[in-house]
Amino acid sequence: MTGTFHHDDRLKISHGNLTKIMGTRFDIILLEKGEELASGIWNETRQELIRLDKMLNKFDATSEISMLNERAFLYPVMVCPELFQILVDCRIYHEKTMGLFDISLKDLSKVVLSESDYSVSFLSPEISLDLGAYAKGYALKVIWDKLIKHNVPHAFVSFGDSSILGIGNHPYGDSWKVSITNPFVQNEVLGEIDLKNTSLSTSGNSPNYTNHIVRPGSGQKNNERKLVCVVSGNPVDAEVLSTTLMVATEQEQERILQNFEIESFKIYNT
Amino acid sequence: MTSKKQNKQSVDLSLRQFIKDLGGIAGGTALLASTPWLQSFTVDKLSELKKEKARLAVIGTGSRGQYHIHNMLDIEHLEIVALCDNYIPNLKDASVLCPKAKTYTDYKKLLESSEIDGVVIATPLNWHAPMVLDALDAGKHVFCEKAMALTMDECKAIYEAYQQTDRVLYFGLQQLFDEKYIKGIQMIHSGLLGDIVGMRCHWFRNHDWRRPVPSPELERKINWRLYWESSGGLMTELGSHQLEICNWAMGQRVPVSVSGMGDIVYWKDGREVYDSVNLVYRYANGVKINYESLISNKFNGMENQILGNRGTAELAQGLYYLEDDDASPAIQQLIAEIRDKVFSAIPAAGPSWRSETKGKYKPYAIVKNTAGVHSGASMIGADADGSDLILSSFAQACITGEKAKNIVEEAYVATILCLLGNQAMAEQKTIYFPEEYRIPYMKF
Repeated sequence: MTGTFHHDDRLKISHGNLTKIMGTRFDIILLEKGEELASGIWNETRQELIRLDKMLNKFDATSEISMLNERAFLYPVMVCPELFQILVDCRIYHEKTMGLFDISLKDLSKVVLSESDYSVSFLSPEISLDLGAYAKGYALKVIWDKLIKHNVPHAFVSFGDSSILGIGNHPYGDSWKVSITNPFVQNEVLGEIDLKNTSLSTSGNSPNYTNHIVRPGSGQKNNERKLVCVVSGNPVDAEVLSTTLMVATEQEQERILQNFEIESFKIYNT
Repeated sequence: MTSKKQNKQSVDLSLRQFIKDLGGIAGGTALLASTPWLQSFTVDKLSELKKEKARLAVIGTGSRGQYHIHNMLDIEHLEIVALCDNYIPNLKDASVLCPKAKTYTDYKKLLESSEIDGVVIATPLNWHAPMVLDALDAGKHVFCEKAMALTMDECKAIYEAYQQTDRVLYFGLQQLFDEKYIKGIQMIHSGLLGDIVGMRCHWFRNHDWRRPVPSPELERKINWRLYWESSGGLMTELGSHQLEICNWAMGQRVPVSVSGMGDIVYWKDGREVYDSVNLVYRYANGVKINYESLISNKFNGMENQILGNRGTAELAQGLYYLEDDDASPAIQQLIAEIRDKVFSAIPAAGPSWRSETKGKYKPYAIVKNTAGVHSGASMIGADADGSDLILSSFAQACITGEKAKNIVEEAYVATILCLLGNQAMAEQKTIYFPEEYRIPYMKF
């Protein structure tokens, strides 16, 4: 991965950027911090993202999740407490989404979590965990906590457009305002969303990337031309729901949403 | 005034304005320092000339000479007072273009005229050295076509004569006055592409490189490009521009060695010079120029690629590409809007952007106007490639007497490299840059 950091001291804007992180790029804009503080925060953010990528990215053969996927059918694999907690969390989301959020993509009941020693074992050789619908939301939450710790009043954070966090507001507005564009029709704006201390997650198919969201159980690949946007103060909720609601029926959507407190939810036909 | 003439003058003024503006921007002085021949190429210096005109003669009025005449007729601060060619049909054609100019068949007689300030030489390569040296000797300012000369010793003689003279000497490296090269090289020097890690230059045509010959005894005179006695072949005729560009991009560094192969692959018509050349020039830091020219297939056209660890420039097309072209346009827009105190919705939300879906490199234009793109197909010259501006600068220098920095040195380096390339191909071995042809200007 490559990264850049630029700081404009006159305007007190800093921009940090990483490419090829969690399968996408990462951008953060920090306001009202001097260069030294801002670059310190950026370095910490960068380290954190690299650390999480090494833990959660199954496309990295040396990541902790890859090690787990490779061995957990053969013997119980001990994982770090943070990853263990994430897997427990994913199980809770699985329940809250009627099984539609499933990091095993097949059968989560075949994944055994042992709290006594933080070990994980798979009961079937076909199980392989994929945190793609969770990791970016989790990373946003971790970064948000860091920004709070450093008293950053205003920031805009984006994981490749699909997972966004708006903290405080734009210097010339009372929020951060983003528009949702139709991936199939150039320059068509589907809607606008104001973000103030909240996050937005968007899932959907695009012309060059489709069939990547799978309905657990049936294994059916989703190729619908639609976008699902979820706004929530909890970036993990937003992340989990945007993917889950993409494959849920209308009835399922209603029932699932009863288990969450989110700010808004929209589906756009593209 | 014709619209074409107006257009040429506006290109001239626009580059002059660009050079002037460079002085005012951050880092502009440093950029100007890397293009010192442009220091006097400003609007102000042009207006200082008032109504003065350089009195110029054109020696060699074949196709390239006539191309220069067309450009010269559009330049206000010069007049063509004399023409010279020992091939009468060409002299007559040129005379039609400038009927008032006095005609000569012997350049030495022309050089005796006190009414000539400077000469523009566009003759076969073997004539460059004697004509340049004689013209300087006669007190004339000189503009000579590239390459500098047929042999390394002749180049050295010209370089040494230039050190002794107060006359102005230019060589036809028009890319030094071509906006897209100037801006492109400046962007490279500013670090746009990161470190230069390699260069690839090629020039492909599908043409026999011949001119029709009215009677057989004129073959070597008219098709001088095809014989070693009068030509360095593809290297001096095409490669010299491209090798100069590589050295310019490398910050005046010069390769230490060259290896290569040259053959007559297709045009086996009695010519002596290769119709296919492949060479590798190697710099001391390991960076290499891959040079290739072939004139029996035009698929690849002409290009000068400068490869950096962060991006690639295709200078002939005026384009550049970035290796990690992952900057989010929405984020860029957001930053720009904050700078401009604008608050609006930025198009930042959508399905996840994925670096692995990126198929092609996206081209960015070095200059907005791409009118001067040279496909490499023409045997004479392209429009707006700097050929007219370098003559405008030369005419200005003839009036002011101000020497243009670096042009002679760049021409010297590029020509020696071409000739070393020819030597490497002829001897089929690696040739190292000889001590005796090194000049203080060169950095290895």
